[in-house]
Amino acid sequence: MAPNHSNENGSIGSSLHGVTAREQIFSFSVEDAPWSQAIRSDDPTAKFALPVDSEHRAKVFKPLSFAKPHMRAFHLGWISFFTCFISTFAAAPLVPVIRDNLDLTKTDIGNAGVASVSGAIFSRLAMGAVCDLLGARYGTAFSLMLSAPAVFSMSFVADAGSYLAVRFMIGFCLATFVSCQYWTSVMFTGKIIGLVNGCAGGWGDMGGGVTQLLMPMVFHVIKLTGATPFTAWRFAFFIPGFLQIIMGVLVLTLGQDLPDGNLSTLQKSGQVSKDKFSKVFWFAVKNYRTWILFVLYGFSMGVELTINNVISGYFYDRFNLTLHTAGIVAASFGMANFFARPFGGYASDVSARLFGMRGRLWTLWILQTVGALFCIWLGRASSLPIAILAMMLFSVGTQAACGALFGVAPFVSRRSLGLISGLTGAGGNFGSGVTQLVFFSSSRFSTAEGLSLMGVVAVVCTIPVAFIHFPQWGSMFLRPSQHEERSKEEHYYGGEWTEEEKSLGLHEGSIKFAENSRSERGRKAVLADIPTPETGSPAHV
Amino acid sequence: MAIHKILFASLLICLLIQSSHAATKERLFSDLEKSALEVTATPSRVGEGVVLAAGVDKLSITWKVSSTATKEPEFNAIKVKLCYAPASQVDRPWRKTENELFKDKSCPHKISSWSYDPAMKTAQSFDYTLERDIPTGTYFVRAYAVDAKDHEVAFGQSTNEDKTSNLFSVQAISGRHKSLDIASVCFSVFSVVALLVFFVNEKRKAKIEQSK
Repeated sequence: MAPNHSNENGSIGSSLHGVTAREQIFSFSVEDAPWSQAIRSDDPTAKFALPVDSEHRAKVFKPLSFAKPHMRAFHLGWISFFTCFISTFAAAPLVPVIRDNLDLTKTDIGNAGVASVSGAIFSRLAMGAVCDLLGARYGTAFSLMLSAPAVFSMSFVADAGSYLAVRFMIGFCLATFVSCQYWTSVMFTGKIIGLVNGCAGGWGDMGGGVTQLLMPMVFHVIKLTGATPFTAWRFAFFIPGFLQIIMGVLVLTLGQDLPDGNLSTLQKSGQVSKDKFSKVFWFAVKNYRTWILFVLYGFSMGVELTINNVISGYFYDRFNLTLHTAGIVAASFGMANFFARPFGGYASDVSARLFGMRGRLWTLWILQTVGALFCIWLGRASSLPIAILAMMLFSVGTQAACGALFGVAPFVSRRSLGLISGLTGAGGNFGSGVTQLVFFSSSRFSTAEGLSLMGVVAVVCTIPVAFIHFPQWGSMFLRPSQHEERSKEEHYYGGEWTEEEKSLGLHEGSIKFAENSRSERGRKAVLADIPTPETGSPAHV
Repeated sequence: MAIHKILFASLLICLLIQSSHAATKERLFSDLEKSALEVTATPSRVGEGVVLAAGVDKLSITWKVSSTATKEPEFNAIKVKLCYAPASQVDRPWRKTENELFKDKSCPHKISSWSYDPAMKTAQSFDYTLERDIPTGTYFVRAYAVDAKDHEVAFGQSTNEDKTSNLFSVQAISGRHKSLDIASVCFSVFSVVALLVFFVNEKRKAKIEQSK
């Protein structure tokens, strides 16, 4: 049973709930198995368009390709998420018309803004579980097609109460964020996951910017056909509704849950084991890192969602821009996501290559703190050019921090990946609800003061990242554990399974992932000769 | 580095555009001649608690240059507008009354515009049907007299200075349409049913796979 060095550089990995039937063996026992050739990189690659690791997750990222199943999953995922962002913030640029139609007050509008992001707190939590149990395709499709009725029901809204209720229900669809990140995490290998998640998340978030341009344009076109403004805005909501239905159908027909097939097929044929929800939930909740990420995301994505709702009105009021110009400014905040979030993910991956997980944590802290500082500056800027400059720098910092955070999240747990994505995502919406409620829904602070105060609170709430410690990789200020057992990745990921479950071999997927994640040790992992530990797995001979 | 230069240049341009606006910023409402015009607005339906329906009810508006008007020679045109009463401005900063004329948002709805003929000394009157995009609220009518440069010089309004008398209420159209409602229900049902069909179908196929 010689240790297998050829797989040292992260070319092996593990799928989420166990692997396909061929791979119930570990790298060190490969020579003995008669079917060992099947997991050599040449054979499985033959049927995939991209080079894959032993878990069939893609090793390269080709954004211009639509090849099955990896790149297709990526594109379906981010476009679904993009569509949901369009729907959730579709009301924001049309508020000047809606507030006249429904006779809304500033309080009504503020409350509806809070409601639009609050629904997703619960749906993002639920989505984590849905993905773990039903697969990413159905998670995405449920989110899209069950919230489409809410989008269409804008045609029934007659007062402030119903407006708030509908915006709340539309907001549920932001759960697609979780299913999208989950889908890319099972399709792409750990080394590039920061960049891939950053692109998917960033391009999806762009929807919040695109909607500020799209909805007024659709509204204008409908008015040209002769409709009155108060009817035209209702009809305009049909466009996001159609987009959601179309994307839902595309996801179900063209997409695939896992590199090897769809979850239900793989589960029924015994190739993927089903996990128990209560276990998945417990391990997610028990891990303190989950909650630190919850707070952190609340003040990066949370701040971003809040800005999507308030920035257009801020520029309109403070600098007396026309609604059209204010909309363009608001759109450019959201559009910066196109490169800012992928940049954050990429920066996280690069720092991981050099410094391992510690690099990822430092990158996250730096980006988020710098973004928050520019937010403080934005609130204090009294001239338009300075305000726009501050806003752009703030958008890049905060959005890159979002990307960097999801370079860390996939490593917090293997068993509960979906639920942790869900909890973190929910944290983003929770942060947005809280910041809108405290800083932007009352007349206690002017909007400018609210922005600066929000920036200050964001700086303070980014400090907890220093407390995230992985025994095998260290933290921002502490080195990895020197302890014989605890310094191994297998110990950390194996610790999520009980001895009984280990004896049944249910944890094999986590062990594979642990071996793969050795790249998070940074340059030292490449230099050191780390044999696969024999204590981390049951005797399988 | 080239990007930094472009950014800096665009900031300078923005500054220049902003400063060029400064010249027109100082015209104030308080500088206008008050009560230079006598304006009355009579709704087609009057009475206690009557609410006019947008798109249906009319206002009968008359305006006349007051004999006490001193800036009369400057008058070039008369612009009649529908303005919000204070009750409709509460908790709605987008309808705020500001002294600087370019910032003032309390009179956004144009009713009509008349070219001023000094020879005409009698009152002008016309009927105005409330447009279908007028929001729900309490209103009065104001007429601005503008000079040749399209700057306001005087005004008159159908209510008193405190904006408490002769106000009328308007109820906006709902904007809802039966056809829109029906289409909305149809597409919603389609969305949910399509999802269920896919789901059930796939479960069935998986069961068949398993039994093989």
